[in-house]
Amino acid sequence: MSGTRPGIALLLASLAAKELKVRYKRSLLGFAWFLLKPVFNMVVFTVVFTRIIRFGGDIEHYPLFLLTGLLVWNFFSSSLTASTTSLLDNTRLIRSISFPRAVLPAASVAANAVHLLLALLVTEALLWGFGHAPSASIAALVPAVLLLMAMTTGISLALSVWNVYLRDVSQLVEVVLLAWFYASPVIYPLGTGLLPPGAEAAMRFNPVAGAFEIVHSTMYCGTWPPSWCWISLCAWTAVLLLAGFAAFRAAEPAVVKEL
Amino acid sequence: MAAPGSVRFNGVGLDYRIFHDRTSSLFEAMSNLFNRRTRSEKLKALDGVTFSVGPGEAVALLGPNGAGKSSTLKLLAGIYRPSRGSVETSGRIASLLDLGVGFHPELTGLENLYLNGALLGLGRRDMEPLIPGIASFAGLERFLDTPVKFYSSGMFMRLGFSLATAVEPDLLLIDEVLAVGDAEFQQRCQDRIYGFRGTGRTIVFVSHDPAAVRRLCDRAIWLGDGRIVMDGPVQDVLSAYMSSTAPGPRAVSCSPREWGTREVRFDRVDITGGDDLPVASFEPGRTLRVRAEISTSLPGGADGIVFGFSLHRPDGEMVIGSNNLELNEPLLSLESRAVVCMDIDLETLEPGAYLLGLALTDPVRGRDYHWQDYYYPVALSGERHDPPVRLRKASWRTEQSV
Repeated sequence: MSGTRPGIALLLASLAAKELKVRYKRSLLGFAWFLLKPVFNMVVFTVVFTRIIRFGGDIEHYPLFLLTGLLVWNFFSSSLTASTTSLLDNTRLIRSISFPRAVLPAASVAANAVHLLLALLVTEALLWGFGHAPSASIAALVPAVLLLMAMTTGISLALSVWNVYLRDVSQLVEVVLLAWFYASPVIYPLGTGLLPPGAEAAMRFNPVAGAFEIVHSTMYCGTWPPSWCWISLCAWTAVLLLAGFAAFRAAEPAVVKEL
Repeated sequence: MAAPGSVRFNGVGLDYRIFHDRTSSLFEAMSNLFNRRTRSEKLKALDGVTFSVGPGEAVALLGPNGAGKSSTLKLLAGIYRPSRGSVETSGRIASLLDLGVGFHPELTGLENLYLNGALLGLGRRDMEPLIPGIASFAGLERFLDTPVKFYSSGMFMRLGFSLATAVEPDLLLIDEVLAVGDAEFQQRCQDRIYGFRGTGRTIVFVSHDPAAVRRLCDRAIWLGDGRIVMDGPVQDVLSAYMSSTAPGPRAVSCSPREWGTREVRFDRVDITGGDDLPVASFEPGRTLRVRAEISTSLPGGADGIVFGFSLHRPDGEMVIGSNNLELNEPLLSLESRAVVCMDIDLETLEPGAYLLGLALTDPVRGRDYHWQDYYYPVALSGERHDPPVRLRKASWRTEQSV
């Protein structure tokens, strides 16, 4: 095959743009939903954790702390949910046009990444308004978000092919994401004695914990993140991205016939 | 580097896994793990297929369903990878396997064109000059900023065809999609495809229509059970293939027989005069009405069904036959069951006893749903002439569809 392979970047951009366009067609609030969803989550969690279960009350600007974590979580979970079904949703396309199919799950992640970047900008402005002025450590956010995107893409690639074989994967993803959410430092801070020391140590083995800790410390606290975050995030990203690619490549030829 | 538009199949094999007890959920997979009910078997869709096509050749792939024609096209399009052997193609490929697949209903025609262009490897800048040509060929200039969900199915297919053929391919793959839109557009599609042929592009064509094959192709490859049975000039292969699959009616016994997938089937058939009353003998000028109750087991129903008839002499020789596709009458569609009527107006020039055969088929999908050959005896009376029977008029309609 020569010269007919579409440019991956072009394809990725076109498919991600399509996903965004389609999602907000016939929607009154349209693009604003990228921020509204985490904001609604934030309101609910704020009420729950400061009025009902009182632990967030001691944290200054707890809603803002929540929002920074929630929008990163929102990116992670929406990306995985959308990409898991991305191959099945495009069955006819895959069966009649030849193109690198890995762009389908990757485009789902890319579309959500656009949301994440916009939401991070708005939240950073909010934080500034409430006295959390950005410090030099904000620079660390860029590599952290890129690493998280790469990791998410890796997981998405594997989930999308597995879901073709077993439809249970998409159900499992939902359940696992719920447990994963509470097992990650999204709604609670680390290093404040809220968690038992054993749980804090175990947190370093949670693939996304590093990313959340970096986001919280750079955006909310304005401090440089601890080094374990980088080690954990880099190691998990490398492992999951490579494993995801390997799983996708191994299953792809069979999956095309399976669809 | 081979010349653009050339194709090489080198000992190509393609396997499918066939599950005897298909599991699609984890629970089933787990329970089958213990009682070992899941057996999968390799089905060889293609086995040791070797051929090459030079630039500018127009090749037809012939063969019964399941012979490996579509698998061959999908390998050529790069959708499947061969399990064994190698497939080499060069140049830009346009595949008319399924039209308008990449179109999203919520996006406008123009947005969809750009998106599909990206799938074909064309950036915005490459697509821009092609847009006016695509729109005018499809006759949709005024509807490009309309979401395609408001398009009729004909408009949708027209846009798909215009796009797929606008990219100036070196190799064109066609899977029996020539029936697009209305008669006028079909003509333009055919003209465009024949035009490709004239400009030295390579065409690989899968069709069940011998006339179309003969017109478009100069070479044919006959596939059977995943192997090449015959490869040569179109006329030779076609006649060998036809005589093997459809032995002349004279050669076969003309006792009634039924065959087909029965995915769409006749449940009950009544042959009456035009007034719905059963008659023993049809006089000239009397309409022969076939009233059939049909049903389908296909989920979501079936459409594009061709309802045909053939009339045979008692010795089995076919006298006349036609169908709603051939006569440009509406094709049948049904969700689960329907009552359909076919009125046949015959000019009888040779009275006598005949056998009427009926068939439900879908030539586009290559399906033979239900055939009833030599099934219904009918007697035709009248003056004796030669040739014996002429069709005056036939019409179809669905009286009731549930």
